[in-house]
This record gives sequence, structure tokens and C-alpha cells, in this order.
Amino acid sequence: MEMRLQIPKSIITAINQLYELEQKLKKHGDPNNLQRNVEKMKDAFAEEGLMMGASGGAQYRIGLAYEDPMGQSFKETRTDLEASISGSGTENLVVVEVIKPIIRAVVRDSQGTFSKVIQQGIVIVESQKEKGL
Amino acid sequence: MNNMINFGIDLGTTNSLIAKFTKGTVEVFQDPIRQGIEVLPSVVGFRNDRILVGAKAKEYLEKDFQSVVGRFKLFMGTTRSFKIKSLGQSKTPIELSAFVLKELKRFIHTGETPEAVVITIPASFDMTQANATKEAGQAAGFKQVVLLNEPIAASLAYANKEKDVDLKNSQWIVYDLGGGTFDVALVKIVAGELKILDNEGNNYLGGSNFDELIVKRIVVPHLERKGHFTELLTQMTSETGKYNRLWYRLLARAEAAKIALSTETSAEIEIEGVTDDEGKKLDLTIAITRSEYEVLIKEDVDSTAEMLKKILTRNSLRPQDLKFVLMVGGATYTPYVRKRIEELVGIPVNTGINPTNAIAVGAAYFAATKEINLAEKADDISTQPGTLKIRCTYNRASMEREEWFAARVDGELKDLFYHITREDGAYDSGLKKLTARIDEDLPLREDTYNLFTFTVYDSHNNPVVTDFNSIQIAQGKYSVAGQMLPADLSLVLDLDDDGSKMDTKLLTLFTKNSVLPATAKKTVQVTKALIRGSDDEVRIIVVEGPTENHFTANKKVGLLGISGKQLQRDLLRGREIDLTFDLSESRDLTVHVYVNPSGPEFSGSYSPTFRDVPVELLAEEVRMLDGEIEKEKAEAMANENFEVAEKLEKLSPLVQELEGEAMLLRLDNVTADRYKLEDRKRKIAQELDQLTSGKRVDRLRNEYQAAKTEVTGIVTESGNDHERRQLNEIIAQEHTFLNSTSPRKLQGAIDQLHQVRFQILRRTPAFLQGWFQHLCGKRETLNDQLQAKVLIEAGSRHLVAEDYDKLLEVNMRLTSLLPEKEKVTPEMQPFTRITAQ
Repeated sequence: MEMRLQIPKSIITAINQLYELEQKLKKHGDPNNLQRNVEKMKDAFAEEGLMMGASGGAQYRIGLAYEDPMGQSFKETRTDLEASISGSGTENLVVVEVIKPIIRAVVRDSQGTFSKVIQQGIVIVESQKEKGL
Repeated sequence: MNNMINFGIDLGTTNSLIAKFTKGTVEVFQDPIRQGIEVLPSVVGFRNDRILVGAKAKEYLEKDFQSVVGRFKLFMGTTRSFKIKSLGQSKTPIELSAFVLKELKRFIHTGETPEAVVITIPASFDMTQANATKEAGQAAGFKQVVLLNEPIAASLAYANKEKDVDLKNSQWIVYDLGGGTFDVALVKIVAGELKILDNEGNNYLGGSNFDELIVKRIVVPHLERKGHFTELLTQMTSETGKYNRLWYRLLARAEAAKIALSTETSAEIEIEGVTDDEGKKLDLTIAITRSEYEVLIKEDVDSTAEMLKKILTRNSLRPQDLKFVLMVGGATYTPYVRKRIEELVGIPVNTGINPTNAIAVGAAYFAATKEINLAEKADDISTQPGTLKIRCTYNRASMEREEWFAARVDGELKDLFYHITREDGAYDSGLKKLTARIDEDLPLREDTYNLFTFTVYDSHNNPVVTDFNSIQIAQGKYSVAGQMLPADLSLVLDLDDDGSKMDTKLLTLFTKNSVLPATAKKTVQVTKALIRGSDDEVRIIVVEGPTENHFTANKKVGLLGISGKQLQRDLLRGREIDLTFDLSESRDLTVHVYVNPSGPEFSGSYSPTFRDVPVELLAEEVRMLDGEIEKEKAEAMANENFEVAEKLEKLSPLVQELEGEAMLLRLDNVTADRYKLEDRKRKIAQELDQLTSGKRVDRLRNEYQAAKTEVTGIVTESGNDHERRQLNEIIAQEHTFLNSTSPRKLQGAIDQLHQVRFQILRRTPAFLQGWFQHLCGKRETLNDQLQAKVLIEAGSRHLVAEDYDKLLEVNMRLTSLLPEKEKVTPEMQPFTRITAQ
């Protein structure tokens, strides 16, 4: 039942770089409208059929997409994030910095489409009360 | 039946792993949630009535040390116990280790529940500590626990990997530098058995120290030079400090740099958006070279060498008495560690095994040689599988981000636990005590089915069979009973000036049965130039119906025209435009058009209720349809295809009637007449399409064969390997399109052949000359006479000088000066197709 997806590390690296590129554009402005190119690259990665595979005779198609968890709440049950807790509080935690985004595979097979976390987001979280200090 | 133990566990101070021997190889199991990760951090936490083991617990280790415990292995066999604030009681290292061992069972994806296992212990463990480890294994539900020394496990992993190496009568060192501990041991084969003769270690030295060193000694001083900070390091490492967040960010960056430095000679740490005490923003990139890093860790590495030397001295051994130093533990990936040890001790280092999982692998090899002997049984705590009754309540469909799940459990609940995980790996409830009433807030991923697995475990973390195991909740759009698209929506491509081109291709935007809402993005090239200020229009047409159909046979859903008046500059032929189509749940279609690179943006909405059918366009299309029917009729007659001609004949009066009605329709007609007419026109077009598609396919087949013969000739004469390969690939695919009834597929193959042809031709002098002369013949019609003159003069010079690259350039530019009408003539098409590529 369980499907193990082997995604080449180089592709994961490329997606992480793309995320960083997007963050830099957000931060420093984008006079040359590079965001459009970033979007196109994101689309290319998300395209179903970026990679194909087979499991037990069934064919499946995979696309990859990242998710920026910035500002989302965090607790111990969230396994799509790997967090470092900054500050002293451990309740009402919120993501205050993202070092790596969450990367998900969107897998389409004969059963339908489902998604799977391929890379946990590496984040720094902080208790909401302390946020903004 | 295989009666061997086969399962091996590396119960480490910082990380633990589990592996299994099957048919000669060892599989190291992976974390079911963290993709591709084999290690489980040896950390246990008790938070909010759940038990967390591993990565999640580790996150809270420093900040909630009263309820989360790590490094307990160092206290095995001592009287030390850990007070757990949230539980109001203490846990012994044995109990905590049992939690880790139980969690490792969850890594076994084969569905087995081993009753016997090999667990590794450090060489430094005494009898009490060894027995405590055994006890932890039994507490985790293993009925038989066999212990194995870590250096021996590592040696076994090596011996099994390098089967040709003869280790008989030799001795060697196992050097184990992990995430947070260091051990070194002298191993020897005595009377055919591996024995540990001596060992040393430091419980607080490992790879994480190296990360901290990078931050403390390189990054912090750098920041202090660039900005004004008071006691930056203290402010970073204190949890109430102003820069505490920065500390964790830098540790993550430092770790990445450390890993990069294992393979590269330098690495960079980027730090953005740090504000110093005076409010100045700092964005820095700090470069660290491998040699700087080596200076940094030298002291620590040297201290490990000292310990190794102590062993040699104590055992009166010379370096040459030892075969090698076997490197184990993640920190030994660092090249300097390997180099320095070799340099200081004078014994060659051996990096033949995976330093991260070698101990678990060795344990599994050992387990494969040990028979299961359940005489060593621990007390059997039996559960009553199948006697549990679980009744649950929850919303199967939700618009919320979190949904409440509640269940009533009947049966014997003593010593039972449950665990809920989400299929995509983004949620794990942790281990919780099973009680008569359970409730849990389950986080939902938006716009999708959320599938959760609910598993009950006994006190040994072995799964218990129940009548209930999965929770399914649909979030968002699916809850509206899944709005589906009833037919394909496609974009009409390659529309010429008058929309009459025969084999206009359709590009699928949304496939039938797509779930709404949906978005599609396409980049297309405009097929004609649009001059700023002119009345000309580029039309974006969306049709509904099977993509394989001819476009006129499908229902036109909408049209967006971009006229020259809306433009700030000319839109050249071949220019790319980006189109984004948003289809809402109620099937309203919005299209956004963006003209690259800095052009204006347009958008328009179509919706089925406001189908956009401009009257003048309708009339024009009906006229066109009439002309087409007449043409097809004549052709069918000429080919003596009377059956088709007769059927076409029947269409004529229908379309003429339509033509009359369309003429009468006033431009400002607001009734539904235009839609009715449009529908009728479409039906006629569909019939025409069906009647003539066979003919088109035949024509295209002939065209393909002709193109193939021509291109094969050109490739044989002047093609390179790449082009030969391209041609062979197209030919190899022949069966897929030659037997197909889809004109599109055939057209695609022909286009590909032409591409190969033009690729070759554009570097052939004779062709370039012919093209140039042809263009010179058209001189009078060229759009910009002045430019044409300059270009033709330049072209003549290049021709004489035989500079064909430049001639190609001139040809391209001259071609772009041709009037639009001229470009599409059959004689010009071979050339214009090159420029369009």
C-alpha cells in the first residue's frame, strides 16, 4: 500500500533554489518582472508527469510543488515541518522564519490524485506572544 | 522457515536505527513520515497528553526540558531518573529507551512484529548498563534481546560488504564520531571471533559541536565587524536574548555549510535582514573556505586522535600493527577528520561503509546468524485483538481547516494506545492512551481528500486489530459534491486572419471531469503581427467539446479580442503571450492575457450564461462555412466520392438559411437568437467535420510520406548525428499516428519533420542563397524600403564573402519585412516557418 517516492536530490535542490529566488524577489523588489519566470518554472515542476513511475504494475505521474509555511501555526503534531523553537515559550507557536519550504509531490495514478510530503519545511517558530520582539 | 532473529537495532545516544536482514542483504528501514530518513532521534517527550518520540520531541528538547528528554542512554544502568513535569512522575532511562525501541517498530513497513532483536551497546557499557539495555528491549515487547557491541557491529558491516578482504589475525580501530558522542575501540579477531580489546570515548563531542563552532567563531565575529552589537553571542544563545531566533537560523545555515564543505573547497552562508542594535539592516554573504573550517575543528579532532593514541600506548601497539581505522558516525564524512587522523596516528583510514547506518547494518548481519530462542521470554502481556469496538463521529466533508474527530471505545482498554497519522505525512498525533472516549482535532489540507490512519497499539507498540482503521474527510471543493467539468475546454491556436485555416489545432486547457475551480496557464505565440493603433485584432477563442474535434465543430465558449488600439507598441508575429484561464466553480471562465516582456495586460470574462457571440463574427463564420461546404462538395464530386457529395449537398440549404437569418440579425440584438444561430451553425460544422475528416487524414498521410522522403534525403546528405536521431525517432513513432484518425497527430509529425528539415537547410549555403535571391525578388513589397535596401546590400556582401551566418541573419530580418499576406503564400512558407521557429 505504502508508496515510496524517490525524487532525485538535484530536483529538490533546484526547487529549494527557486524558493530562495522567489523570496529574494519579494524582499528586494522585482523591477525586471522575474517573478513571471519564477512562476513558469514553478509550473514546470508542478506539471503532472514531470516524473513518472510505476508501483506494482500501476503507472503514476508526479509533479512537485513547494509550500511556504510562513506565518502558519505550529504544534507538535505537525510533521510537515521541522522546527527550531526560538524564545522561551512553547505554546501558540507560529512560523517566523522559513529556511527551507515544504515540498510536496502531487501523484496522479488510476485511483486519483494524492499528495505526499517529500521535504519537511525547515523553520524557526516562536510563541505568538513573543513574536515581533 | 527462517528461524533467525534478522532484526538489528542501533540504539544510539542521539539517533537510533532499525535494519533487517533478508536473503543476503540488509534493509535499513525509513521513517514512515520523514521521506528518505533512516534515523530516529533518541528523544522522548510528554506534551499535552501525548507521547512524542523522535524528531518532534527533539524540537522541544531544549525549550521544554522539563517534559522532553534526550541523551538518556548515557545514564543507562544508573539510578538516575528524569522528572517529567507534565506527567508529574519520573521516567527511568530504561523506560525512555523502551519508547524509542517501540517507535522503531513503526519503521518496519513489512507488517512484521519481531519478537526477537539484536540491540547494540557501546564498548564502554558495563554489565549493569548492558542488562539495563536488555531490560529496555523487553519492556518494548521483544521477548528475546541479544546484545552486540557497536564497534563489532561496524566491523561486521564492513566485513560483509568487502567479502574479499581477509581480516584473519588482524586488528583494527573503530573510530565512531557521531552527532554528539565519540567512541573509539580496538577490535581484534581472537580465535575466529571478534573481540574488543580496549576503548575510549567522549560523551560530549560530535558533529553538532562543529556547527556551533562555525557560528561562534566565524559568523558572529563577522556580524560584529559589519554592524554594532552588544554581546551578540550571549543575546543569541540566551532564550530571552534579542537574537535567539538568529542563533537557530545560523545553526541551520552552518550545518548546510559544513555538509557542503565535505565535497567543496568553500561554502557560503547567506544572512539576510539582520538588524543591528542601531537599527541598521545587514545583508551578508560569508564565505568559508575548507581550510578555515579545518582550523576551527582542529582542536576537537586532535583530541580524538589523542584518545586513539592512548589505546595504542596502553596496548603497546605500533601503527603498523593495525590494519586500518574504520570510520563510523556522520561526522566522519568531514574529509579533514579522515585526513587528520591518518596524519596524526599513521594508520590508513577506512571509509568503506556508510557511517550513518553501519552499526544497524552490522547488527542485522549479526541477527541473521542468531537463532530465535524464545526461552528468554519476557512476561507476555496479552491483548485481546478483535474485542475492541470503536464507534466514531466526525464530519466526512468540511470547509474548515481542522475537523473534530470523536470516538467511543468499548472493550478492555488497559495498556492500549492509539496513533493517528495523515496519509500525506503532514500530521502525526503522537502516541496517546486509549480511553473510552477519545477526541482529536485533525488538521485538514485544503481542497482535497484527507485520509488518516487510526491504529491501536498494545503496550509493546505492536498493532492491535480493530474494526476501524481509517478516517476520510473531504476538505473544500470536494464537499460541494465535486463539481466536474462536463467536456474538454480548449484554446484555438494558429488562427489566421480570417479564421479559415483548415487544420487549426486545439490546445487542451481543462480536461473533461476536471474538478472545479481550476486554473490553466499557457504560453502561445501570436500568429500575425498587430500594429499599434490599427483595427486589427488577435482573437483568443475558447471552445467546449472534445479536443480531437475540429475547432468549428466545438461550441465556442468565449472570445477575447485584443485590437491594435489597445496596444502601446506593435505586437510582432511570433511574440509570446501568456494566457491564464481561471474557471470558477460555476464555470465562469476568466482569461488574463499578458504580452511579454513588458507589455500591457488584458483580461476578459466569459461565462456560459453570457456566451459571447458577436453578431458580425457569426455572420462571417456562416458565410465561411457555406464556402467551405461548396468547396468540399466540388472536391468530392471531382474524386467521384458521390456518397459524401450527396450528404454535403443536404447541408447546403441549411447553411444558406442560416446565412439569411444571420444577415438579418441586428448588431444590437439582445435576444437569444444569436445563440440559437450559433448552435445551429455549430451542428452543421460538426457534420461537415465528420464528413471530411477522413479526407483530411488521407491528405495528411500523403503529406507526411512526401515530407519523410524529402527529409530523409536531406538528412542523409547534410544531417548530423543529432538530426539523424531526431528523424529516426519520428519514424519509430509512425505506427502511433499513421493508423490514427486524428489529423492533429499527423500534423504534429509533419511539423516535426519540417523542423528537422529547416534545422539542416538553414546552414546550407545553396538554400541560404536561394532564399536571399527570392527575397530580393520581392524587394518592392517589403514594408520598410530604406531598411530593405541596407539589408540587401549587406546580404550581397556576405554572399560574396561566403559569410553564411551573417547571410542567415539578413534573410531573417528581410523576411520579417514581408507583408503579412506575402508570408503565408505557399512559396514563402518554407522560409517564414524558419523565422517563426
